[in-house]
Amino acid sequence: MGLDYQLVLWNKFKKTYDKIIVLAMLLYVILFAAITLTFNSETSIETLIIRAFGSLAIIMLHIILIIGPLSRLNSSFLPILYNRRHLGVSMFIAALIHGGFSIFQFHALGDVNPIYSIFTSNMDYGSLTNFPFQVLGFFALLILFVLASTSHDFFLSNLSAKIWKRLHMMVYIAYALIIAHVFLGAFQQETSTFTIGLLITGFIIVSGLHLVSAYKEHKVDKTSTNGTENWLKVCDISEIEEDRAKIFTIQNERVAIFKYDGKLSAIHNVCKHQGGPLGEGKIIDGCITCPWHGYQYLPHNGQSPPPFTEKVSTYQLKLENKTVFINPKAFDEGTEVEPCKY
Amino acid sequence: MEIVVNIILAVLGMYFLIGILFGLYFLFKGATKIDPLMKDTKKKVRILLFPGIIATWPFLIKRLFKSKSL
Repeated sequence: MGLDYQLVLWNKFKKTYDKIIVLAMLLYVILFAAITLTFNSETSIETLIIRAFGSLAIIMLHIILIIGPLSRLNSSFLPILYNRRHLGVSMFIAALIHGGFSIFQFHALGDVNPIYSIFTSNMDYGSLTNFPFQVLGFFALLILFVLASTSHDFFLSNLSAKIWKRLHMMVYIAYALIIAHVFLGAFQQETSTFTIGLLITGFIIVSGLHLVSAYKEHKVDKTSTNGTENWLKVCDISEIEEDRAKIFTIQNERVAIFKYDGKLSAIHNVCKHQGGPLGEGKIIDGCITCPWHGYQYLPHNGQSPPPFTEKVSTYQLKLENKTVFINPKAFDEGTEVEPCKY
Repeated sequence: MEIVVNIILAVLGMYFLIGILFGLYFLFKGATKIDPLMKDTKKKVRILLFPGIIATWPFLIKRLFKSKSL
């Protein structure tokens, strides 16, 4: 949130995460080089760089893909989610080094345009065992370029959250291309059961976590609310943690009921910034804080504190004994609603 | 197959070329028209946005035309 765009939205915590990312990347490359040279001292520096950064990019991509489902399953992973954008750009840099060195070593030393050479140096497109795998890596790198280059609030705001999200879902196409690139490529030359096993394990973990978190989300959607007339019974007040929320699906819309300072307030669960799940965030400095990028809303009116202008819908709550009831009719975005006191 | 390769590369090349030309205009003029926050945005931030503008120019052109027709 700001009145102009910043180069990078850093804060104390994000700087720490970024330092950890850079150190971990350096450590991985050094370890990879040390192990490779120990077992095969004749490996050239170019090959070493290509393999080190290629494998690093794949590992980082797996981490990026599992952060979302992991944070939905366990909120202690949320801090990593806050920094996923920086992790994605770092992964693209690793992939770019891998791709750049590969193009330089295998395609740039002849008299054919290097990009043209990627597509034409091996024209065996009909073969599975000799498929020109470089082409798959090239398209994956193009997708990663689009994702990394649009990882800025300017694009989120000007492409619209819907288009931005759709663009960034292309990470799954890049993942499929990379898996095919590695299987068809590296294994043509070096069939290592260890590497194949690792890649298959990664795929199972990524898809498994997505399935489990989707099942959990489905359960939230199916959470039963019952009641008569205008009020729906949602839960017992003790089920909501202090300064946190519980999410319910009310008439096909997700609503987050927050408990704070002896009060309860309900707002629409979707953040205006990027569609983040507000109910998975917490109350910080009196504001509901989106877990994805820290956008804030006042719980009693769903408005971002001035000078910001984002607004979400609010809902009316009532408490009978210790049971929370909600009026399913949403108020207009930013409408003030008296919090329910307990 | 070579014809398909030539077509793909020509389309990609054209896409990026138009993106670069549009990006140069958009970065220093067009962006301010659709996003008031760009007015006070520093030059180094605009340069950082350049690759993304090249990548997504069809969407941004659409926004620019929409803002002009309003």
